[in-house]
Amino acid sequence: MTSSRSFFSRGTVILLIGLSNLAGCAPSRTVFAGDAAAAAGSAVVAVLPVDNLSGGTAPLKVLRQELIDRLKENGTTVLPDAELDTFMSRHRVRYVGGVDRGTSEAFRSETGASAVLVTSLELYNESFPPRIALTARLVATGGDPRIIRMESTAMAGDDRPGILGLGLVRDPRVLRAKAVNRLADALTGRDAGTGEGTTMRPESLYRSRVLDPARRYSVAVMPFHNTSDRKHAGEILALHFIRELTRFGMFDVIEPGVVRDDLLRYRIIMEDGVSMADAEVMFKMLQADFLLSGNVNDFEDRQGSSGAPKVDFSAQLLEQKSRKVAWGMDSRHTGDDRTWFFDVGKVNTASGLAAATVRGAIESFGK
Amino acid sequence: MTCFRKAVAALMLFMMAGCTSNLDLYRDGNMDFGAVHNVAIMPLANLTRESPAADRVRDIFASMLLATGGVYVIPPGEVARGISRAGISNPATPSTEELVKMAGIIKADAIITGTIREYGEVRSGTASANVISLSFSMLEAQTGKAVWSASTTRGGIGIFERLFGGGGEPMNDITEKAVDDVIKKLFQ
Repeated sequence: MTSSRSFFSRGTVILLIGLSNLAGCAPSRTVFAGDAAAAAGSAVVAVLPVDNLSGGTAPLKVLRQELIDRLKENGTTVLPDAELDTFMSRHRVRYVGGVDRGTSEAFRSETGASAVLVTSLELYNESFPPRIALTARLVATGGDPRIIRMESTAMAGDDRPGILGLGLVRDPRVLRAKAVNRLADALTGRDAGTGEGTTMRPESLYRSRVLDPARRYSVAVMPFHNTSDRKHAGEILALHFIRELTRFGMFDVIEPGVVRDDLLRYRIIMEDGVSMADAEVMFKMLQADFLLSGNVNDFEDRQGSSGAPKVDFSAQLLEQKSRKVAWGMDSRHTGDDRTWFFDVGKVNTASGLAAATVRGAIESFGK
Repeated sequence: MTCFRKAVAALMLFMMAGCTSNLDLYRDGNMDFGAVHNVAIMPLANLTRESPAADRVRDIFASMLLATGGVYVIPPGEVARGISRAGISNPATPSTEELVKMAGIIKADAIITGTIREYGEVRSGTASANVISLSFSMLEAQTGKAVWSASTTRGGIGIFERLFGGGGEPMNDITEKAVDDVIKKLFQ
């Protein structure tokens, strides 16, 4: 029997375990708890097909079914698929990335659903390390389709590699289930851990004095102008801003489906961002205090297990009264910007990085 | 004594050699820059092989200029509308007539044009480093006259890169430094 002073003393082992745990970083996760009364509890929720913003193929039906199963496990009543299909074909609902006023009213009156769950898939990659990023929001049905709860999650198989890589997730199905469960738990309020996640400050920031922190403002988020190589990066960035603005509590964010419907109705095509003429129409139609628009220069996920994601974007908040920019920011970050020691603080997905940078930008409203 | 005079004359000549004017900055002495409130930044001319460089630098420059609070930068969407309404075929190098017309449409006091001359990695022997070289001009909206012009170069291969390698500073960092340098030259 060896003596109590073995090669690795107890303290050394604890330190090594601690270091190995530090080497893995927590996956990016944001949770917003909005109107608790309207959140998915006993109410009937219509789960729309998943909107694929990943730019690639993904098992969307499986994802949706897994999400429904978890929601049901958590006690949510989900509108049956047959009823949803009939409703969607009757109203010719093809766009599943949002809900406009007409569809929202029809959902309430014809199906009895009190909320619609809009899910967007931002990233899906099955090759090692698997990666997934999902955003979901509950939108109240009826005449006023407002966002009542919005959650997102971004995960990679190597978020927590742990000691000797024991914490690596190699099976994409395991990671998918983890992400879906986390999203569903957060949506139904079962996930008590409402961690804020990483925050990254913007490179430059401008704020005029028109913003009164004591007031609530209505804001419409326009799709961002995308000059990056990544398809749908504009929509993804817009979703991150919607979530953070909703979470911040100073803004009532207009449902993007309503914004899209008005853009289509008035045939507004924004080739290089929002012009004043477009803004005039949108302010009038949406009765918004602010319009948020921006530009995505880079939205790049890493290839394989090496490298780091890269996100580069700018955003401006146009004020309705003055028709001027009331707030502006510019941000460029890579996933390893905050990594100093092993991989501590590394962000492994562009969606997680976007969430962190947008969070940092929106927090500037409160300062 | 003669030796001392020669030494003084040589020293004066040496010092005079350093008294050159600032060749990368022009300011119109008659222009009242305090009257410039709204500026529009045109799409930049890109002389590099990096196609997104112009959009990226324009975006950074617009945000950083707005963040100074010194002037109001007209949003890019509104500038695009102005370009379209004024029928400017080459927005990076507009003619005086086009510029005056556009400034009237979007109510700009001044228009900023610019050129990206170098952007990306440069190599010299085995050494490599990131470099950016850019220039901007401010044109007065009513007459289309150039009232300010500045250029800057940041990054490149220095002694450190030659001796130790390493690829120099990240592109983002030197871009920010270059833009910051230009903005300082605008407000100095």
